[in-house]
Amino acid sequence: MLRQIKPRNARSKRALDKKAPKAVENPKTTLFLRGTTCSQVVQDALTDLFQLRIPLAKKFTKKNPIHPFDDASSLEFFSEKNDASMLVFGSTSKKRPHAITLVRTFSYKVLDMVELYLNAETFRTLAQFKNKKCAVGLKPMLLFAGTPFESPVSDEYTLLKSFFTDFFKGEPADKVDVEGLQYIVSISARDTVDGEEVKPSVHLRVYLIRTKKSGQKLPRVEVEEMGPRMDFRVGRVKEADESIMKEALKRAKTSAERPKKNISTDIVGDKMGRIHLGRQDLKELQTRKMKGLKRSRDVARSEDEMEEDEISEDEPAKKTRKR
Amino acid sequence: MADSEPKGPSRLPVVVNKATPYTFDLGLLLASDPNPLLLTSPENLNDDLAATARDGAQALLNQLLSTCPITNTPNGVLLSLPGIETRLPREKPLPPPKAQTTWEKFAAKKGIKSKSAEAKKKMVYDDATGEWVPKWGYKGINKKADEAWIVEVDEKKERERKEGAQVQGDGRRERKEKVRRNERLQRANERKQKKNHGGRG
Repeated sequence: MLRQIKPRNARSKRALDKKAPKAVENPKTTLFLRGTTCSQVVQDALTDLFQLRIPLAKKFTKKNPIHPFDDASSLEFFSEKNDASMLVFGSTSKKRPHAITLVRTFSYKVLDMVELYLNAETFRTLAQFKNKKCAVGLKPMLLFAGTPFESPVSDEYTLLKSFFTDFFKGEPADKVDVEGLQYIVSISARDTVDGEEVKPSVHLRVYLIRTKKSGQKLPRVEVEEMGPRMDFRVGRVKEADESIMKEALKRAKTSAERPKKNISTDIVGDKMGRIHLGRQDLKELQTRKMKGLKRSRDVARSEDEMEEDEISEDEPAKKTRKR
Repeated sequence: MADSEPKGPSRLPVVVNKATPYTFDLGLLLASDPNPLLLTSPENLNDDLAATARDGAQALLNQLLSTCPITNTPNGVLLSLPGIETRLPREKPLPPPKAQTTWEKFAAKKGIKSKSAEAKKKMVYDDATGEWVPKWGYKGINKKADEAWIVEVDEKKERERKEGAQVQGDGRRERKEKVRRNERLQRANERKQKKNHGGRG
Protein backbone atom coordinates (compact mmCIF):
# COMPACT_ATOMS: atom_id res chain seq x y z
CA MET A 1 0.00 0.00 0.00
CA LEU A 2 1.34 3.35 -0.97
CA ARG A 3 1.16 6.13 1.57
CA GLN A 4 -2.02 8.15 1.58
CA ILE A 5 -1.40 11.49 -0.07
CA LYS A 6 -3.30 14.58 0.89
CA PRO A 7 -3.39 16.91 -2.11
CA ARG A 8 -1.54 20.15 -1.50
CA ASN A 9 -2.35 21.86 -4.73
CA ALA A 10 -5.01 21.77 -7.43
CA ARG A 11 -2.88 19.74 -9.83
CA SER A 12 -2.26 16.89 -7.44
CA LYS A 13 -5.90 16.99 -6.42
CA ARG A 14 -6.95 16.58 -10.04
CA ALA A 15 -4.55 13.68 -10.42
CA LEU A 16 -5.95 12.01 -7.31
CA ASP A 17 -9.52 12.58 -8.42
CA LYS A 18 -8.70 10.92 -11.70
CA LYS A 19 -7.53 7.83 -9.82
CA ALA A 20 -10.37 7.76 -7.30
CA PRO A 21 -13.13 5.14 -7.56
CA LYS A 22 -15.96 6.32 -9.74
CA ALA A 23 -19.48 5.14 -10.42
CA VAL A 24 -18.73 5.13 -14.14
CA GLU A 25 -15.13 4.06 -14.42
CA ASN A 26 -12.31 5.17 -16.62
CA PRO A 27 -11.40 2.64 -19.28
CA LYS A 28 -8.90 0.13 -17.95
CA THR A 29 -5.25 0.77 -18.64
CA THR A 30 -3.13 -2.19 -19.60
CA LEU A 31 0.47 -2.44 -18.54
CA PHE A 32 2.89 -4.63 -20.47
CA LEU A 33 5.81 -6.04 -18.52
CA ARG A 34 8.54 -8.60 -19.10
CA GLY A 35 10.34 -10.98 -16.81
CA THR A 36 14.06 -11.44 -16.41
CA THR A 37 14.06 -13.98 -19.20
CA CYS A 38 11.75 -13.26 -22.06
CA SER A 39 12.24 -14.74 -25.51
CA GLN A 40 12.17 -12.55 -28.61
CA VAL A 41 8.96 -14.29 -29.64
CA VAL A 42 7.19 -13.22 -26.47
CA GLN A 43 8.62 -9.73 -26.71
CA ASP A 44 7.25 -9.42 -30.23
CA ALA A 45 3.91 -10.76 -29.08
CA LEU A 46 3.78 -8.19 -26.28
CA THR A 47 4.61 -5.42 -28.73
CA ASP A 48 1.80 -6.49 -31.03
CA LEU A 49 -0.74 -6.78 -28.25
CA PHE A 50 0.42 -3.36 -27.10
CA GLN A 51 -0.14 -2.02 -30.62
CA LEU A 52 -3.72 -3.32 -30.57
CA ARG A 53 -4.38 -1.83 -27.16
CA ILE A 54 -3.01 1.69 -27.77
CA PRO A 55 -3.93 4.28 -26.43
CA LEU A 56 -5.08 2.55 -23.24
CA ALA A 57 -1.73 0.91 -22.70
CA LYS A 58 1.72 1.37 -21.22
CA LYS A 59 4.73 -0.75 -22.00
CA PHE A 60 7.81 -1.18 -19.87
CA THR A 61 10.97 -2.75 -21.22
CA LYS A 62 13.07 -3.29 -18.12
CA LYS A 63 13.49 -6.80 -16.76
CA ASN A 64 11.45 -7.64 -13.69
CA PRO A 65 12.16 -10.62 -11.47
CA ILE A 66 8.49 -11.51 -11.03
CA HIS A 67 6.77 -14.88 -10.83
CA PRO A 68 3.10 -13.93 -10.92
CA PHE A 69 1.73 -17.22 -9.61
CA ASP A 70 4.21 -17.36 -6.72
CA ASP A 71 4.23 -13.78 -5.58
CA ALA A 72 2.16 -11.12 -7.26
CA SER A 73 2.98 -8.29 -4.88
CA SER A 74 5.19 -6.44 -7.36
CA LEU A 75 2.48 -6.69 -9.97
CA GLU A 76 0.11 -5.11 -7.48
CA PHE A 77 2.64 -2.38 -6.88
CA PHE A 78 2.93 -1.72 -10.61
CA SER A 79 -0.83 -1.71 -10.88
CA GLU A 80 -1.21 0.90 -8.18
CA LYS A 81 1.66 3.08 -9.35
CA ASN A 82 0.42 3.21 -12.92
CA ASP A 83 -3.30 3.01 -12.18
CA ALA A 84 -3.42 0.02 -14.51
CA SER A 85 -5.92 -2.71 -13.77
CA MET A 86 -4.82 -5.10 -16.49
CA LEU A 87 -1.30 -6.41 -16.74
CA VAL A 88 0.26 -8.54 -19.41
CA PHE A 89 3.45 -10.21 -18.28
CA GLY A 90 5.78 -12.07 -20.62
CA SER A 91 8.45 -14.53 -19.60
CA THR A 92 10.22 -17.61 -20.80
CA SER A 93 11.66 -20.56 -18.93
CA LYS A 94 12.55 -24.10 -19.81
CA LYS A 95 9.48 -25.41 -18.05
CA ARG A 96 7.16 -22.67 -19.27
CA PRO A 97 8.30 -21.62 -22.72
CA HIS A 98 6.95 -18.36 -24.18
CA ALA A 99 4.54 -17.67 -21.36
CA ILE A 100 2.23 -14.68 -21.39
CA THR A 101 0.35 -14.09 -18.16
CA LEU A 102 -2.79 -12.00 -18.23
CA VAL A 103 -3.58 -10.38 -14.90
CA ARG A 104 -6.56 -8.34 -13.83
CA THR A 105 -6.65 -6.39 -10.61
CA PHE A 106 -9.45 -5.10 -8.46
CA SER A 107 -8.60 -2.14 -6.25
CA TYR A 108 -4.92 -2.84 -6.95
CA LYS A 109 -5.11 -6.44 -5.75
CA VAL A 110 -4.84 -9.34 -8.14
CA LEU A 111 -8.32 -10.51 -9.11
CA ASP A 112 -7.60 -13.30 -11.57
CA MET A 113 -4.76 -14.56 -13.74
CA VAL A 114 -4.38 -16.80 -16.76
CA GLU A 115 -1.15 -18.09 -18.18
CA LEU A 116 -0.90 -18.72 -21.91
CA TYR A 117 1.92 -20.48 -23.69
CA LEU A 118 2.50 -19.04 -27.11
CA ASN A 119 3.21 -21.42 -29.94
CA ALA A 120 6.44 -20.04 -31.39
CA GLU A 121 6.17 -21.96 -34.68
CA THR A 122 2.84 -20.56 -35.75
CA PHE A 123 3.30 -17.09 -34.32
CA ARG A 124 3.30 -14.28 -36.88
CA THR A 125 3.74 -10.64 -35.93
CA LEU A 126 1.70 -7.72 -37.13
CA ALA A 127 4.57 -6.58 -39.37
CA GLN A 128 4.90 -9.94 -41.09
CA PHE A 129 1.58 -9.45 -42.84
CA LYS A 130 2.31 -7.08 -45.67
CA ASN A 131 -0.90 -5.18 -46.00
CA LYS A 132 -2.55 -2.00 -44.90
CA LYS A 133 -3.20 -1.84 -41.17
CA CYS A 134 -6.16 -0.20 -39.57
CA ALA A 135 -5.89 3.09 -37.72
CA VAL A 136 -4.59 3.09 -34.15
CA GLY A 137 -7.14 3.14 -31.33
CA LEU A 138 -10.10 1.89 -33.34
CA LYS A 139 -12.69 -0.22 -31.58
CA PRO A 140 -12.46 -3.76 -32.87
CA MET A 141 -15.34 -6.13 -33.38
CA LEU A 142 -15.03 -9.31 -31.38
CA LEU A 143 -15.88 -12.89 -32.17
CA PHE A 144 -15.60 -15.88 -29.89
CA ALA A 145 -16.05 -19.13 -31.74
CA GLY A 146 -16.19 -22.60 -30.35
CA THR A 147 -17.99 -24.48 -27.62
CA PRO A 148 -15.39 -24.06 -24.82
CA PHE A 149 -16.21 -20.36 -24.48
CA GLU A 150 -19.89 -21.13 -23.89
CA SER A 151 -19.32 -23.40 -20.92
CA PRO A 152 -21.94 -22.77 -18.22
CA VAL A 153 -19.46 -23.30 -15.40
CA SER A 154 -16.54 -20.91 -15.18
CA ASP A 155 -13.30 -22.48 -16.37
CA GLU A 156 -10.15 -21.21 -18.04
CA TYR A 157 -11.94 -20.64 -21.35
CA THR A 158 -14.77 -18.53 -19.98
CA LEU A 159 -12.16 -16.64 -17.99
CA LEU A 160 -10.19 -16.09 -21.18
CA LYS A 161 -13.33 -14.86 -22.88
CA SER A 162 -13.87 -12.37 -20.10
CA PHE A 163 -10.22 -11.32 -20.29
CA PHE A 164 -10.12 -10.79 -24.01
CA THR A 165 -13.47 -8.99 -23.94
CA ASP A 166 -11.99 -6.65 -21.37
CA PHE A 167 -8.80 -6.33 -23.36
CA PHE A 168 -10.38 -5.50 -26.71
CA LYS A 169 -13.28 -3.51 -25.34
CA GLY A 170 -11.61 -0.17 -25.95
CA GLU A 171 -13.10 3.08 -24.83
CA PRO A 172 -16.79 2.94 -24.01
CA ALA A 173 -18.88 4.43 -26.77
CA ASP A 174 -22.61 4.62 -27.27
CA LYS A 175 -22.19 5.52 -30.93
CA VAL A 176 -19.77 4.14 -33.47
CA ASP A 177 -18.99 5.25 -36.97
CA VAL A 178 -19.80 2.60 -39.56
CA GLU A 179 -16.51 3.50 -41.24
CA GLY A 180 -14.78 2.65 -37.98
CA LEU A 181 -15.82 -1.00 -38.07
CA GLN A 182 -12.62 -1.98 -39.83
CA TYR A 183 -11.31 -5.06 -38.14
CA ILE A 184 -12.42 -8.07 -36.18
CA VAL A 185 -10.59 -9.98 -33.50
CA SER A 186 -11.51 -13.60 -33.70
CA ILE A 187 -10.74 -15.89 -30.80
CA SER A 188 -11.54 -19.51 -31.36
CA ALA A 189 -11.03 -22.84 -29.74
CA ARG A 190 -11.76 -26.36 -30.88
CA ASP A 191 -14.15 -28.31 -28.66
CA THR A 192 -12.72 -30.75 -26.19
CA VAL A 193 -12.56 -34.40 -27.17
CA ASP A 194 -13.32 -36.90 -24.45
CA GLY A 195 -10.39 -39.00 -23.39
CA GLU A 196 -7.87 -36.49 -24.66
CA GLU A 197 -5.60 -35.02 -22.03
CA VAL A 198 -4.49 -31.92 -23.89
CA LYS A 199 -6.69 -28.89 -23.58
CA PRO A 200 -7.63 -27.37 -26.95
CA SER A 201 -5.47 -24.44 -27.95
CA VAL A 202 -6.84 -20.95 -28.36
CA HIS A 203 -6.38 -19.23 -31.70
CA LEU A 204 -6.21 -15.45 -31.81
CA ARG A 205 -6.56 -13.95 -35.26
CA VAL A 206 -7.10 -10.37 -36.35
CA TYR A 207 -8.75 -9.70 -39.67
CA LEU A 208 -9.42 -6.59 -41.68
CA ILE A 209 -12.96 -6.37 -42.96
CA ARG A 210 -13.72 -5.70 -46.59
CA THR A 211 -17.31 -5.10 -47.58
CA LYS A 212 -18.67 -5.65 -51.04
CA LYS A 213 -21.94 -4.68 -52.59
CA SER A 214 -24.14 -7.71 -52.57
CA GLY A 215 -27.08 -6.34 -54.48
CA GLN A 216 -29.05 -6.43 -51.25
CA LYS A 217 -29.41 -3.97 -48.43
CA LEU A 218 -26.70 -5.59 -46.33
CA PRO A 219 -23.14 -5.74 -47.65
CA ARG A 220 -21.17 -8.91 -48.23
CA VAL A 221 -18.26 -9.19 -45.81
CA GLU A 222 -14.85 -10.59 -46.69
CA VAL A 223 -11.91 -10.84 -44.31
CA GLU A 224 -8.20 -10.42 -44.81
CA GLU A 225 -5.73 -11.35 -42.12
CA MET A 226 -3.95 -8.37 -40.64
CA GLY A 227 -2.01 -10.03 -37.84
CA PRO A 228 -0.85 -10.80 -35.28
CA ARG A 229 -1.49 -14.52 -35.44
CA MET A 230 -1.15 -16.29 -32.13
CA ASP A 231 -1.93 -19.78 -30.96
CA PHE A 232 -1.95 -20.37 -27.25
CA ARG A 233 -1.98 -23.31 -24.93
CA VAL A 234 -3.70 -22.54 -21.64
CA GLY A 235 -1.47 -22.89 -18.61
CA ARG A 236 -1.95 -22.09 -14.98
CA VAL A 237 -5.06 -20.26 -13.88
CA LYS A 238 -5.88 -18.31 -10.76
CA GLU A 239 -9.59 -17.72 -10.54
CA ALA A 240 -11.06 -14.82 -8.64
CA ASP A 241 -12.21 -15.15 -5.08
CA GLU A 242 -15.98 -15.42 -5.18
CA SER A 243 -16.71 -12.63 -2.70
CA ILE A 244 -14.23 -10.28 -4.34
CA MET A 245 -15.65 -11.04 -7.77
CA LYS A 246 -19.13 -10.29 -6.45
CA GLU A 247 -17.88 -6.96 -5.16
CA ALA A 248 -16.18 -6.27 -8.48
CA LEU A 249 -19.30 -7.02 -10.50
CA LYS A 250 -21.40 -4.48 -8.62
CA ARG A 251 -22.90 -1.78 -10.74
CA ALA A 252 -23.72 1.75 -9.73
CA LYS A 253 -27.39 2.53 -9.42
CA THR A 254 -28.29 4.55 -12.44
CA SER A 255 -30.92 7.20 -12.67
CA ALA A 256 -32.54 5.25 -15.48
CA GLU A 257 -36.13 4.43 -14.68
CA ARG A 258 -36.76 1.08 -13.10
CA PRO A 259 -39.79 -0.80 -14.29
CA LYS A 260 -42.70 -0.16 -11.97
CA LYS A 261 -43.78 -3.27 -10.15
CA ASN A 262 -47.32 -4.58 -9.89
CA ILE A 263 -48.65 -2.40 -12.68
CA SER A 264 -49.63 -4.02 -15.93
CA THR A 265 -51.77 -3.26 -18.92
CA ASP A 266 -54.18 -5.87 -20.22
CA ILE A 267 -55.03 -6.51 -23.86
CA VAL A 268 -57.87 -3.98 -23.87
CA GLY A 269 -55.45 -1.29 -22.68
CA ASP A 270 -56.74 -0.96 -19.15
CA LYS A 271 -54.17 -0.32 -16.49
CA MET A 272 -54.19 -3.05 -13.88
CA GLY A 273 -52.69 -2.76 -10.44
CA ARG A 274 -51.98 -5.44 -7.90
CA ILE A 275 -52.08 -4.21 -4.31
CA HIS A 276 -51.01 -5.74 -1.05
CA LEU A 277 -53.66 -5.72 1.66
CA GLY A 278 -51.62 -6.95 4.56
CA ARG A 279 -52.33 -9.98 6.67
CA GLN A 280 -55.96 -10.60 7.47
CA ASP A 281 -56.82 -10.56 11.15
CA LEU A 282 -58.81 -13.73 11.70
CA LYS A 283 -59.80 -12.69 15.21
CA GLU A 284 -62.20 -10.16 13.81
CA LEU A 285 -63.72 -12.57 11.35
CA GLN A 286 -67.48 -12.68 11.70
CA THR A 287 -68.57 -16.26 11.72
CA ARG A 288 -72.11 -17.52 11.75
CA LYS A 289 -74.04 -16.04 14.62
CA MET A 290 -75.70 -18.46 16.98
CA LYS A 291 -77.29 -17.94 20.30
CA GLY A 292 -75.18 -20.66 21.82
CA LEU A 293 -71.93 -18.97 20.88
CA LYS A 294 -72.70 -15.67 22.59
CA ARG A 295 -70.06 -14.50 24.99
CA SER A 296 -72.75 -13.52 27.45
CA ARG A 297 -73.69 -17.16 27.78
CA ASP A 298 -70.27 -18.02 29.16
CA VAL A 299 -70.91 -16.49 32.54
CA ALA A 300 -74.32 -16.00 34.02
CA ARG A 301 -74.94 -12.27 34.41
CA SER A 302 -77.81 -9.95 35.10
CA GLU A 303 -80.17 -9.15 32.24
CA ASP A 304 -79.24 -5.50 31.57
CA GLU A 305 -75.60 -6.38 31.26
CA MET A 306 -76.54 -8.87 28.62
CA GLU A 307 -78.32 -6.21 26.61
CA GLU A 308 -75.25 -4.01 26.67
CA ASP A 309 -73.14 -6.88 25.47
CA GLU A 310 -75.38 -7.45 22.54
CA ILE A 311 -74.96 -3.87 21.35
CA SER A 312 -71.22 -3.86 21.73
CA GLU A 313 -70.95 -7.10 19.86
CA ASP A 314 -72.95 -5.81 16.95
CA GLU A 315 -70.74 -2.81 16.26
CA PRO A 316 -67.56 -4.50 15.10
CA ALA A 317 -69.63 -6.78 12.95
CA LYS A 318 -71.08 -3.79 11.12
CA LYS A 319 -67.62 -2.37 10.56
CA THR A 320 -66.36 -5.51 8.95
CA ARG A 321 -69.29 -5.61 6.64
CA LYS A 322 -68.63 -2.07 5.47
CA ARG A 323 -65.12 -2.94 4.45
CA MET B 1 -14.14 0.35 -46.29
CA ALA B 2 -16.47 -0.15 -49.24
CA ASP B 3 -14.90 -1.57 -52.37
CA SER B 4 -17.64 -1.02 -54.85
CA GLU B 5 -17.54 -3.73 -57.47
CA PRO B 6 -20.57 -3.38 -59.59
CA LYS B 7 -19.61 -6.23 -61.93
CA GLY B 8 -19.24 -9.51 -59.95
CA PRO B 9 -22.16 -11.83 -59.33
CA SER B 10 -25.21 -9.69 -58.72
CA ARG B 11 -26.24 -11.45 -55.52
CA LEU B 12 -23.55 -12.44 -53.08
CA PRO B 13 -24.93 -14.35 -50.11
CA VAL B 14 -25.15 -12.23 -46.97
CA VAL B 15 -27.08 -14.58 -44.72
CA VAL B 16 -25.19 -16.81 -42.31
CA ASN B 17 -26.80 -20.10 -41.41
CA LYS B 18 -25.53 -21.92 -38.36
CA ALA B 19 -26.93 -24.82 -36.37
CA THR B 20 -27.00 -22.77 -33.18
CA PRO B 21 -27.62 -19.06 -33.64
CA TYR B 22 -25.03 -16.49 -32.62
CA THR B 23 -25.44 -14.52 -29.45
CA PHE B 24 -24.53 -10.86 -29.51
CA ASP B 25 -23.53 -8.14 -27.13
CA LEU B 26 -23.77 -5.20 -29.45
CA GLY B 27 -22.63 -2.72 -26.83
CA LEU B 28 -19.22 -4.37 -27.00
CA LEU B 29 -19.44 -5.21 -30.71
CA LEU B 30 -19.18 -8.82 -29.60
CA ALA B 31 -20.56 -11.96 -31.18
CA SER B 32 -20.22 -15.46 -29.83
CA ASP B 33 -20.53 -18.48 -32.01
CA PRO B 34 -21.52 -21.44 -29.86
CA ASN B 35 -21.11 -23.95 -32.71
CA PRO B 36 -18.19 -26.35 -32.62
CA LEU B 37 -15.31 -25.14 -34.72
CA LEU B 38 -15.20 -26.71 -38.20
CA LEU B 39 -11.62 -27.75 -38.80
CA THR B 40 -10.79 -29.97 -41.76
CA SER B 41 -7.06 -30.62 -41.41
CA PRO B 42 -4.19 -29.08 -39.47
CA GLU B 43 -2.71 -27.63 -42.68
CA ASN B 44 -5.95 -25.87 -43.47
CA LEU B 45 -6.29 -24.39 -39.99
CA ASN B 46 -5.85 -20.77 -41.01
CA ASP B 47 -8.32 -20.98 -43.87
CA ASP B 48 -10.88 -22.63 -41.64
CA LEU B 49 -10.42 -19.98 -38.98
CA ALA B 50 -10.74 -17.26 -41.60
CA ALA B 51 -13.97 -18.82 -42.85
CA THR B 52 -15.35 -18.92 -39.30
CA ALA B 53 -14.28 -15.33 -38.74
CA ARG B 54 -15.89 -14.24 -42.00
CA ASP B 55 -19.20 -15.82 -41.03
CA GLY B 56 -18.97 -14.24 -37.60
CA ALA B 57 -18.12 -10.82 -39.00
CA GLN B 58 -20.97 -11.06 -41.48
CA ALA B 59 -23.45 -12.08 -38.79
CA LEU B 60 -22.27 -9.35 -36.43
CA LEU B 61 -22.40 -6.68 -39.12
CA ASN B 62 -25.84 -7.85 -40.24
CA GLN B 63 -27.08 -7.68 -36.66
CA LEU B 64 -25.53 -4.24 -36.12
CA LEU B 65 -26.93 -2.74 -39.30
CA SER B 66 -30.37 -4.25 -38.89
CA THR B 67 -31.05 -3.62 -35.18
CA CYS B 68 -29.14 -0.45 -34.26
CA PRO B 69 -30.62 2.92 -35.11
CA ILE B 70 -28.54 4.60 -37.82
CA THR B 71 -28.08 8.35 -37.98
CA ASN B 72 -26.60 10.27 -40.86
CA THR B 73 -24.40 13.13 -39.70
CA PRO B 74 -21.87 15.31 -41.51
CA ASN B 75 -19.17 13.36 -39.66
CA GLY B 76 -20.30 10.04 -41.04
CA VAL B 77 -22.92 7.37 -40.56
CA LEU B 78 -23.26 6.65 -36.88
CA LEU B 79 -24.66 3.54 -35.23
CA SER B 80 -26.21 3.92 -31.79
CA LEU B 81 -25.14 0.95 -29.72
CA PRO B 82 -27.27 -0.53 -26.94
CA GLY B 83 -25.94 -0.94 -23.41
CA ILE B 84 -23.37 -3.54 -22.46
CA GLU B 85 -24.88 -6.78 -21.17
CA THR B 86 -21.76 -8.78 -20.38
CA ARG B 87 -20.77 -8.47 -16.74
CA LEU B 88 -17.14 -7.42 -16.58
CA PRO B 89 -15.41 -6.77 -13.27
CA ARG B 90 -14.74 -3.20 -12.22
CA GLU B 91 -11.22 -2.01 -11.55
CA LYS B 92 -12.05 -0.27 -8.29
CA PRO B 93 -14.90 -0.64 -5.81
CA LEU B 94 -17.96 1.55 -6.04
CA PRO B 95 -17.43 4.97 -4.45
CA PRO B 96 -19.02 5.32 -1.00
CA PRO B 97 -22.31 7.21 -0.97
CA LYS B 98 -22.04 10.95 -0.40
CA ALA B 99 -22.36 12.07 3.24
CA GLN B 100 -25.53 13.97 4.16
CA THR B 101 -25.19 17.69 4.73
CA THR B 102 -26.27 19.16 8.05
CA TRP B 103 -29.43 20.48 6.46
CA GLU B 104 -30.26 17.13 4.83
CA LYS B 105 -29.86 15.38 8.16
CA PHE B 106 -32.07 17.94 9.90
CA ALA B 107 -34.69 17.83 7.17
CA ALA B 108 -34.80 14.04 7.28
CA LYS B 109 -35.21 14.11 11.06
CA LYS B 110 -37.98 16.68 10.94
CA GLY B 111 -39.61 15.20 7.87
CA ILE B 112 -39.19 18.37 5.83
CA LYS B 113 -39.66 17.85 2.16
CA SER B 114 -39.14 20.31 -0.65
CA LYS B 115 -42.30 22.13 -1.68
CA SER B 116 -44.41 20.66 -4.41
CA ALA B 117 -45.04 22.61 -7.59
CA GLU B 118 -48.56 23.37 -6.33
CA ALA B 119 -47.31 24.69 -2.99
CA LYS B 120 -44.77 26.94 -4.71
CA LYS B 121 -47.39 28.87 -6.67
CA LYS B 122 -48.39 32.25 -5.34
CA MET B 123 -51.90 32.43 -6.71
CA VAL B 124 -54.74 30.34 -5.37
CA TYR B 125 -58.33 30.01 -6.47
CA ASP B 126 -60.86 31.60 -4.18
CA ASP B 127 -63.99 29.50 -4.27
CA ALA B 128 -66.15 32.14 -2.66
CA THR B 129 -65.51 34.89 -5.22
CA GLY B 130 -64.42 32.70 -8.13
CA GLU B 131 -61.20 34.63 -8.60
CA TRP B 132 -57.49 33.92 -8.50
CA VAL B 133 -55.91 35.75 -5.56
CA PRO B 134 -52.41 35.76 -4.10
CA LYS B 135 -51.76 33.70 -0.99
CA TRP B 136 -50.15 36.65 0.78
CA GLY B 137 -49.35 40.34 0.25
CA TYR B 138 -51.69 42.89 -1.30
CA LYS B 139 -55.20 41.47 -1.39
CA GLY B 140 -53.80 38.25 -0.02
CA ILE B 141 -56.14 35.48 0.98
CA ASN B 142 -54.49 35.25 4.42
CA LYS B 143 -56.13 38.56 5.34
CA LYS B 144 -59.61 37.27 4.73
CA ALA B 145 -60.35 36.72 8.41
CA ASP B 146 -59.63 40.42 9.13
CA GLU B 147 -62.57 41.53 7.02
CA ALA B 148 -65.17 39.62 9.00
CA TRP B 149 -67.82 42.09 10.19
CA ILE B 150 -68.83 40.02 13.17
CA VAL B 151 -66.45 38.09 15.39
CA GLU B 152 -67.18 35.74 18.23
CA VAL B 153 -65.70 36.83 21.54
CA ASP B 154 -62.94 34.55 22.73
CA GLU B 155 -63.01 34.93 26.51
CA LYS B 156 -59.50 33.67 27.09
CA LYS B 157 -57.97 35.98 24.50
CA GLU B 158 -60.02 38.86 25.82
CA ARG B 159 -58.53 38.40 29.28
CA GLU B 160 -54.95 38.39 27.95
CA ARG B 161 -55.46 41.35 25.65
CA LYS B 162 -53.08 44.26 26.10
CA GLU B 163 -54.35 47.62 27.21
CA GLY B 164 -55.82 49.64 24.35
CA ALA B 165 -55.64 46.87 21.76
CA GLN B 166 -58.71 45.92 19.79
CA VAL B 167 -59.99 42.82 18.10
CA GLN B 168 -59.72 44.54 14.69
CA GLY B 169 -55.92 44.51 14.52
CA ASP B 170 -55.44 40.98 15.83
CA GLY B 171 -54.75 39.23 12.52
CA ARG B 172 -52.26 41.84 11.39
CA ARG B 173 -50.45 41.79 14.74
CA GLU B 174 -50.20 38.01 14.56
CA ARG B 175 -48.72 38.08 11.07
CA LYS B 176 -46.18 40.75 12.01
CA GLU B 177 -45.17 38.76 15.05
CA LYS B 178 -44.66 35.68 12.89
CA VAL B 179 -42.31 37.61 10.58
CA ARG B 180 -40.35 38.97 13.52
CA ARG B 181 -40.08 35.55 15.08
CA ASN B 182 -38.77 34.07 11.83
CA GLU B 183 -36.16 36.82 11.53
CA ARG B 184 -35.11 36.20 15.09
CA LEU B 185 -34.59 32.49 14.40
CA GLN B 186 -32.69 33.32 11.22
CA ARG B 187 -30.28 35.53 13.13
CA ALA B 188 -29.84 32.87 15.78
CA ASN B 189 -29.03 30.28 13.10
CA GLU B 190 -26.43 32.55 11.52
CA ARG B 191 -24.84 33.16 14.88
CA LYS B 192 -24.77 29.44 15.63
CA GLN B 193 -23.19 28.65 12.28
CA LYS B 194 -20.45 31.23 12.78
CA LYS B 195 -19.68 29.72 16.15
CA ASN B 196 -19.57 26.11 14.91
CA HIS B 197 -17.68 26.60 11.65
CA GLY B 198 -15.31 29.37 12.64
CA GLY B 199 -17.11 32.00 10.61
CA ARG B 200 -16.47 30.28 7.28
CA GLY B 201 -19.86 28.96 6.24
